[in-house]
Amino acid sequence: MFYKGNPVSKGIALGKVYVYKPYTPEITEKTFEPFRIDEYLQRYKDTKASAEMELQRIHALLSDKDPEKAKIFAAHIDIVNDVAITEEIMDAIQYDHFEPDYAIETVFSKYIKMISKSKDPVIRERAADFQDVKNRLIRNWHGIEESNLSTLSEPVVVAAYDLLPSDTAALDRKNVIAIITETGSFTSHSAIIARSYEIPAILGIPSLMSFIRHGEEVIVDAISGDLITEPGKEQIEQYTLMRSQYIKKVRESKEYLDKEPLTKDGVRIDIGLNIGSGNDEEIGHSQFSDFVGLFRTEFLYMSGDSMPTEEQQFEVYKNVLSGFKDKPVYLRTLDIGADKTLPYLDLPKEENPFLGCRGLRLCFDQINIFKTQLRAALRASVFGKLCIMLPMVSCIEDIRSANAIIEEVKSELSEIGIPFDSNVKIGVMIEVPSAALIADMIAKEVDFASIGTNDLCQYITAADRLNPKVTQYYQSYHPALFRLIDYIVSSFNKAGKPISVCGELGGDPQAIPVLVGLGLRRLSMSSSAVASAKAVLSNFTMDQMKEMAQQVKMLPASEDVIEYLVKTQNIKE
Amino acid sequence: MYTRKTTIINKTGLHARPASDFVNAAGKFKSRITIKNITEDEGPMNAKSIIHVLSLGMGPGTEVELSAQGEDEKEAVDFLIELIDSGFGE
Repeated sequence: MFYKGNPVSKGIALGKVYVYKPYTPEITEKTFEPFRIDEYLQRYKDTKASAEMELQRIHALLSDKDPEKAKIFAAHIDIVNDVAITEEIMDAIQYDHFEPDYAIETVFSKYIKMISKSKDPVIRERAADFQDVKNRLIRNWHGIEESNLSTLSEPVVVAAYDLLPSDTAALDRKNVIAIITETGSFTSHSAIIARSYEIPAILGIPSLMSFIRHGEEVIVDAISGDLITEPGKEQIEQYTLMRSQYIKKVRESKEYLDKEPLTKDGVRIDIGLNIGSGNDEEIGHSQFSDFVGLFRTEFLYMSGDSMPTEEQQFEVYKNVLSGFKDKPVYLRTLDIGADKTLPYLDLPKEENPFLGCRGLRLCFDQINIFKTQLRAALRASVFGKLCIMLPMVSCIEDIRSANAIIEEVKSELSEIGIPFDSNVKIGVMIEVPSAALIADMIAKEVDFASIGTNDLCQYITAADRLNPKVTQYYQSYHPALFRLIDYIVSSFNKAGKPISVCGELGGDPQAIPVLVGLGLRRLSMSSSAVASAKAVLSNFTMDQMKEMAQQVKMLPASEDVIEYLVKTQNIKE
Repeated sequence: MYTRKTTIINKTGLHARPASDFVNAAGKFKSRITIKNITEDEGPMNAKSIIHVLSLGMGPGTEVELSAQGEDEKEAVDFLIELIDSGFGE
């Protein structure tokens, strides 16, 4: 039999089902004789203390091994000790003479019901934490030992209605080969745990608990979301093969991280990184990249509660530039306004902020902020290969004005004898259609450019990328976007100036062959996208990618482009 | 009694970690502190209780009112307003 659910953690598994039914409290309405109030209050306090002790123990156990998971239990300790809940439970015992388990049930259930109805998915998911703490308290009241998935005797597919944080706290990772549940979605606790342990998982399989049998053999295809019960011999063979192919593919794609980025016919493509904070982890990624295609400097401005000083900026830029040594770093100057604001900088509200004073426009408006950043960047330029990249350029005048300001800062530095690299390259982000359409003119005025596909896409489709009502109009595969990229890339290639892509599209495995086919040789992306990008490149020859780019340019609709790309890539695999 | 208003600016709202940070910070003061969701006219609720804070469902853009009564009321409200305005480091 075939059953469908949401595949939330990819993989394939075949094995025996272990039906996991956690402790479910059975509560009936019970009251006690009023003269026993003190005794019951004391017993409630003891129950609360022993529940907290259990949590402290798990928390201590996890804080070294898995600090992320330890946080969940720190939150549970907070819930156990919550002032409002404790007060209400004590009141129910004291004034209504509810037995503590009934008091706990009543108070917790009221709140669980309330947050389960929240419009916000983040809050709704938290109901699981409260459910979990409630059960722990009631179990402790009844003096029942905790049962969990920490010791399993053989590899199993765990089937459950839902997995709560405490069920998975000490999960026997060696023996859990897959997780299937009746409820849950991509953001639920079970999904997060499954992904972090790389355990295949399908959640939200309707009425799973009514048909699944303990000990039966199943196939879990957590790529497509299929659960197969009573599989035939052929299916078992087929999925065993698929499983080993999938594992091989994952392993290979990880191996690609260190590989040289070459197309199937050996053409070298430069892979850049998009970085933000400039911390050691990001700098550590320099070994498998060729340049930094986007250093978002906003982080520096957004992390503090005041404008970063020239010295603070200088230290961060110096660290990044010396970390990447001879690899170029495209430092994008402050790009705020529209969706990105600074708490300490009071900017006037605009009717249409995405078409307003943002990016370079804001820097022209707040010239001191801009000059401070340029000074810090130029001073740091002696430690590496700095390239200054200007965001939100919409006309040639923008470039000329920015150049004049950069020259001014340079001469100020020279006057007081502060050294800087006089060969610092100046480039622009191409993300506004008016700039894209004069790419040939821009190429004459700058040293390099990078295409910001996210903003470019929202400006050419006239669809706000943060407005959920128009997501269907924000089409990353709109043929117009590819036509425009084609024009920008050929203009820069003709002028012999470096051109790269640093938007989402640059790290999208499906789009990469098209971008390279359009003539791009420099792609910048987040570090997590690098391995699969290198793997994709090695799958295609230049001729194949050129052909794909030609085809895509001639397709009328975004959906046609997607269909074509899925088809061609599947054939390659 | 001391009262001030502000607007939630961090992108996840007063939900996961920011809610815990907020409640822990409120718990450090002696005064009784309440929080009210002005936008949806809900509350006031106990600002020292995580469940009360969560039940107000305060996403980004929500206007809130903080009130405190007690010896450190002004300090408490000012501190918590500043915490909300800082965006909880998001």
